[in-house]
Parts: sequence; C-alpha cells; structure tokens
Amino acid sequence: MKAVVSFVVAAALYELVARSGWFAQALVPTLPAIAATLWRTLADGSMLNHAVATVYRVAAGLGLACATGLALGVLMGRFRAVEAFFLPLVNVLMPVPSLAWAPVFILWFGLGNTATILIVFYAATFPMLLNAWTGVRAVNPLWLRAAGAMGARGAELFWKVIVPATSPFVITGLRLAFQRAWIAVVGAEMLAASDFGLGWVIFDAKEFLNADVMLASLAVIGAIGFAFERLAFGALERATVMRWGMVRAAKA
Amino acid sequence: MLDQASPRWRGALSVSAPFIVVAALWEIVARSGTFPRRLFPPLEDVAETLARLTAAGILPHHAFETIARLLGGFGIAALAGVALGILMGRSRRAEDLLMPLVSTGAPIPGLAYAPLFLLWFGLGNVGAVILVAFVAAFPIVLNSWTGVKAVKEIWIRAAQSMGAGDRRLFRHVILPGALPYILTGLRLGLAQAWRILVAVEMLAAVPWGLGWLIFGAREFLNTDAMLAGIAVIGAIGLALEKLVFQPLERYTVVRWGMMTS
Repeated sequence: MKAVVSFVVAAALYELVARSGWFAQALVPTLPAIAATLWRTLADGSMLNHAVATVYRVAAGLGLACATGLALGVLMGRFRAVEAFFLPLVNVLMPVPSLAWAPVFILWFGLGNTATILIVFYAATFPMLLNAWTGVRAVNPLWLRAAGAMGARGAELFWKVIVPATSPFVITGLRLAFQRAWIAVVGAEMLAASDFGLGWVIFDAKEFLNADVMLASLAVIGAIGFAFERLAFGALERATVMRWGMVRAAKA
Repeated sequence: MLDQASPRWRGALSVSAPFIVVAALWEIVARSGTFPRRLFPPLEDVAETLARLTAAGILPHHAFETIARLLGGFGIAALAGVALGILMGRSRRAEDLLMPLVSTGAPIPGLAYAPLFLLWFGLGNVGAVILVAFVAAFPIVLNSWTGVKAVKEIWIRAAQSMGAGDRRLFRHVILPGALPYILTGLRLGLAQAWRILVAVEMLAAVPWGLGWLIFGAREFLNTDAMLAGIAVIGAIGLALEKLVFQPLERYTVVRWGMMTS
C-alpha cells in the first residue's frame, strides 16, 4: 500500500515535468505515450522478438559460464595444483570489466551473437567460479570424515556430501552470475549486436530520438530481470537447498 | 640464507608459472599464422605498443581521464548515496517514500539507461559521469540503509540514557555501527562504477578515456592497442582493490573492533 503511494508520487512528478513543456516531448515523453508504445510493440510482436533474442544470449552465455565456472571452481577447491595454477589468472582477469573485451571480440568474431554471448560468458564466469571454489572449501570437514567413516568413497562422497554442502554457495553464485550477465548483455547488445535484442533497441532508438521506445524497453528489461530474480531463482532455491535443509545448516 | 630465500623464490615461481604458460600458448597461436597478425598480435607487439603509447603520454592521458571520471561519478554517488541511505534508515517517512523506488530501480542494468542519459545530458563527460554516479548509488544507498537499521537498539538506548544528544548519538553510535555496511556499499558501488565506466566511455564518445581508446582502436584494426588498453584497465582494477579497499577496511572497521580482519 505504501509502495503504491510512492509510485503514484513519482509518476505524478514525472508527468508534471513531462507536461511542463520545459523539455521536448520527444526527449521526455508522457507516461501515457510510453504505455501506448509499450502496448503497440507488444501487440505487433517486435518487443517479444527482441526479448527472446536477449534472453537467448543470456541463457547461452550463462550456461557456458556455469559449466566452466562450476567445473573449474570445484576442481580448484578439491585439488591444490589446479588452484595454484588458476587462482593467479582469475585474480588478474577478474578486475577487467567484461565490456572492455567487446571491441576485441567484435574484431575476432564480428558483430552478432558470438561476440555478445562471449561477453556475457566472461561477465558471468567469475562469480560462479569463486562461489563454487569457496563452497567446496567450506564443506564441513566433520561431514567428510563422518561420511568416510561410514564407508563413503569417491563418487558417493562427492554426490551425497560435497554437492549438497556446496549447493547454497553455488546458488548464490548463479544469482550473482545472472545479475552480471543481465548487465553485460545490455551493454554487449548496444556495442556488438546487429539487429535484435533489447539493448540494441534502446541504442537504436537514440538515433531517432524515440525516448518512448527506450523507456518502454527499459520497463521490459526491468520486468524480465525481476521475473528471473524472484521467480526462477526463488523456485530453484526451494527445490534444492531448502528441501535438502542446506540453507539452515550452512548458516548454523 | 638459502633456506630463507628458497620458499620465497618458489612462491614467486608458482605465481608466475600460470602466466608463463598462458603467454607461451598465446605466442604459439599468434606465431602459427592461423590468424592475421593484425588481429592476433604476438605479445611483444602488445608490449611494444604499450611502451610506445606510455612514452608518448597518450596512455597515461587516457588512464587519467578514466580515473577522473570514475572518481567524479563515484564521489557524487558516495555523498548522495550515504546521505540518502542514512536518511532512509533514520526517518520512517523517507523510507516509505523512497524504498519502493530504490528497490525497483536497483535490478535494472545501469547501462540500459545509457542512451537515455546521453539524450538528456548530451554526449561527453556530463552524461557519462552522471550515469556512473546513478549506477554506483544503488548499492551504496541499500547498504547504508541496512547498516543504520542494523545498529543495535540497545546501544542507542544506552547512549541516550547516558545523555547523548542527537548529534553525539549519530557521530559516536550510529555512524560507527553502520560503517561496516557503508564500506561494503561503497566497495560494491565502486566495483559497479568501474564495470560500466569502460562501456559508458565507448558509448558516450568522450574525447579521452581507456574505453574510448579500445573502442576507437577497433576502427583501425589496432588489436595491439586494444590489448594494451585492457592491460592498463586490469592494472587499475587490481590497484583499486589492493590499494584502496583492503587498507581502508583495515584502518577503520577492524581498528574500531566492528569486524575481525
């Protein structure tokens, strides 16, 4: 209820500025104009096309990042030699923003999906990797010894003890990776995509001073991000770590 | 003598070994002729470009402008963000009014606003700095707010019963109590600002800046200049972490006993 009040106040202030005539209508469109644009682009399917392109790129980049980050993170957590080799590289590569690679990837792979997906992959790998690595090292040694004493070996130890114990960290890593990926995909599409994607729409609209298209796409980007964050990851958490009772155990 | 020296040598070797392996692989691919030299330059080309651009003062100028923009944007975000966060933590009315807006805006990627800000504030410095400030402000506001909320009620009541007024309560209880959170927020904000600044420089067509250097080099297929720029970006990012945040944390929060190192 209070949230509604604050949105109404913010919307009224915006509307006031938009209608005051201080700024050009094309730069600060009124809310009904934005809503009409949103409705029009949703109805003719173009917004949906762009959203599908963006989600596809995020899914591909995030999928690659999870596979790489998880595998490498677990290996780094389990084997000293792997850790000694990859940790310095990770420390040096991590502070480079993924979008700094955009021009290099564009040169190597051309404009389009490959460059965009690689940028997303670079952005999402590190949070996944660091969390998997931390998670494996944070497994309670008592559990390992208890399982060992009860006769668990190799694969069994890995799947029955290490995987559930690491899962809260991995899920946090997945969440962070998605956030990074979602930021990176918008930037990557502005720089490297050629004709589809929500980031590309926003950037393209600048050429034609279509601020209403920009704001409508911004709303769609926000809505998709929100849906993933709250619905997808919430459901994932309930189906895995909460059901296994790992979240409470990890905090205790 | 030798006994003392050898572990240190071994440490240096084990840290540098991965870089040597990766550099060797890069060199092999670059020299194999599979890719054109312009697109996949061997490392000595990159090093030579790095040295040449540094000696000519071009690279330092780009780096200086980027850091100035980072500090400008982050400075605005830090002042506004901490003030807003503390206000929201202390005043119920401000919290009710602002919290829904902040929590709606926070998950939207900052770069999505970039073209809009460029339309509103024009290409160049103003738009870029405002965008960086806007993006960096979200984690700072949220963490400052959490920090003020996390100050133990009993500390506040104890200070009040000992006769502390509002100002002293704020300076000696609330601020130190909230500081670990505020520092976390500043750290996240700076990291956030750093991550998008490079992209903003590419989009905003600023005359100088590392992002612009890299993006501009694409036009002329100067992959060596791009990689030199990325190396400088990585070095600045690493320096931010090692030289700014870790000491800051040691000198304030840990010394006040708010957090163990």
